[in-house]
Amino acid sequence: MKKAQEIVLGVVTSIGGFLEIGSLSTAVQAGAAFRFQLVWAVLLGTLCLIFLVEMAGRFAAVSKHTVTDALRERFGFNFFSFVFLGVTLVDLLVLGAEIGGVSLALQLLTGIALRWWALPVGFAVWLLLWKGSFGMIEKGASLLGLVTLCLVVGAVLLHPPWRQVAAGALPSLPQGESAHYWFLAVSILGASISPYLFFFYSAGAIEDRWDESYLGTNRAVSGLGMSFGALIALSALVLAAGVFGPRGITQLDSYDQIALLLTPVLGRWGFWLFAASLGIACFGAALEIALEIAYRAAQGFGWNWGEDLKPAEDSGFASVYTLALVVGVLLVVVGLDPLKLTVFSMALTAATLPLSVVPFLVLMNDERYMGEHRNGRLSNAVVLFIVALSFVLAVVSIPLELLGGS
Amino acid sequence: MDLIRDVLDKQLVDPEERRMGKVDGLILELEEGQPPRLVEIEQGAATLARRLHPRLARWVEALGARIYGEAPGGPARIPWSKVRDVGIDVEVDQDFEKSRLYFWQEWLCEKLIRRIPGAG
Repeated sequence: MKKAQEIVLGVVTSIGGFLEIGSLSTAVQAGAAFRFQLVWAVLLGTLCLIFLVEMAGRFAAVSKHTVTDALRERFGFNFFSFVFLGVTLVDLLVLGAEIGGVSLALQLLTGIALRWWALPVGFAVWLLLWKGSFGMIEKGASLLGLVTLCLVVGAVLLHPPWRQVAAGALPSLPQGESAHYWFLAVSILGASISPYLFFFYSAGAIEDRWDESYLGTNRAVSGLGMSFGALIALSALVLAAGVFGPRGITQLDSYDQIALLLTPVLGRWGFWLFAASLGIACFGAALEIALEIAYRAAQGFGWNWGEDLKPAEDSGFASVYTLALVVGVLLVVVGLDPLKLTVFSMALTAATLPLSVVPFLVLMNDERYMGEHRNGRLSNAVVLFIVALSFVLAVVSIPLELLGGS
Repeated sequence: MDLIRDVLDKQLVDPEERRMGKVDGLILELEEGQPPRLVEIEQGAATLARRLHPRLARWVEALGARIYGEAPGGPARIPWSKVRDVGIDVEVDQDFEKSRLYFWQEWLCEKLIRRIPGAG
């Protein structure tokens, strides 16, 4: 019974946690520019994420280590510091993008420019981490995150040509604009396979003291949760294809256009619901990323960390998330365009995936950590293939996109 | 026991399972005609920096001395005889309050964290 509850809660958390500014805006841009042609990228990214999240949970349950602890222990400090710096840098950019996303939602609702919102938003995130307990944060953010289901409702009400949507599940070459096509594919992959998600998940599993009896729960949560999350991202893509395509809008340059995603289907309510979804999803993601950066530092250097400690009891941990939020807020305040920041940081995530994923795969195959629960050939092959593909696409398409100057 | 594999870079905990940093370095004693003997565990930012590059270690040491003049000199060392158990974590018979990490955490707490309301 308790396990069933955990599965439901875990799935709800994942639905709330999957959608953030990255998956939303990349899916919307893909839908507007290429209709259903990039559905495959969402599916492929999600498949990889399901495998990775399942592995992170299994790793914590079997080895009783968080992924970060084991990375340092197994590969030594020098290699660890290299991974640590790379992944943290990308996380800071993503954190900036999420703070930008919440600020943008507030701009849509109030008309006040988003730069003015960055500081209050960063402060609100910080205050919750400073004062709130982790359980409250996670459950609260994910319950509110269910509002993003309005995108699914919108997509269904739009009566899209389902056969064409399904056809997009198979990759096909674009007619023209191929540089932009591949760049968007990379951004979608990067947005779906967010390393912070599986690092975060393994820390949560250690906090909840998972053991091997949780392996079934873990499989259910990662499979169902991430699939539901992908359903929402796909809905955003379908909506964008149906709403923007027929109006001749293929290139979305600003979030003001994206904000009209639900309006043709749900009218004025659509506008409010979109702003609420965007704001809540990004707020939840900002909380998770700030926490994850602090977790990684604390676990990497052996400090105290934990959801319910007071800041005075884990001053290192508290200082790190405070500092991370300052950096994230600054990225928005200096006036970086949140849409560009988002798409770029997602592509960069894809480019740096091997840095976090390959060492993790080595751990998953290490008998001393995993015993009989080591990875099978299938999971190794699936993850390696998708990560290698994302990396190659990223290395090729990022320079092209920068030169093309979208 | 394989020192690099089983001890280095592991989590150190005190008898109450409080985390007190990692095993950042190991000190071996060499005596002629005898196999090297493990005598101490070393901890600290300078130890870590030395593993990356000796010059980086000198910078870290200078920085540490500047921030906090009276900081206990040299890296923190825990005698190997105080190690009780090497498992998932390395458990040592020394209270967290006596560790170098505690010293720096308290320093950070005093200088920054406690000045913000609600730190507890």
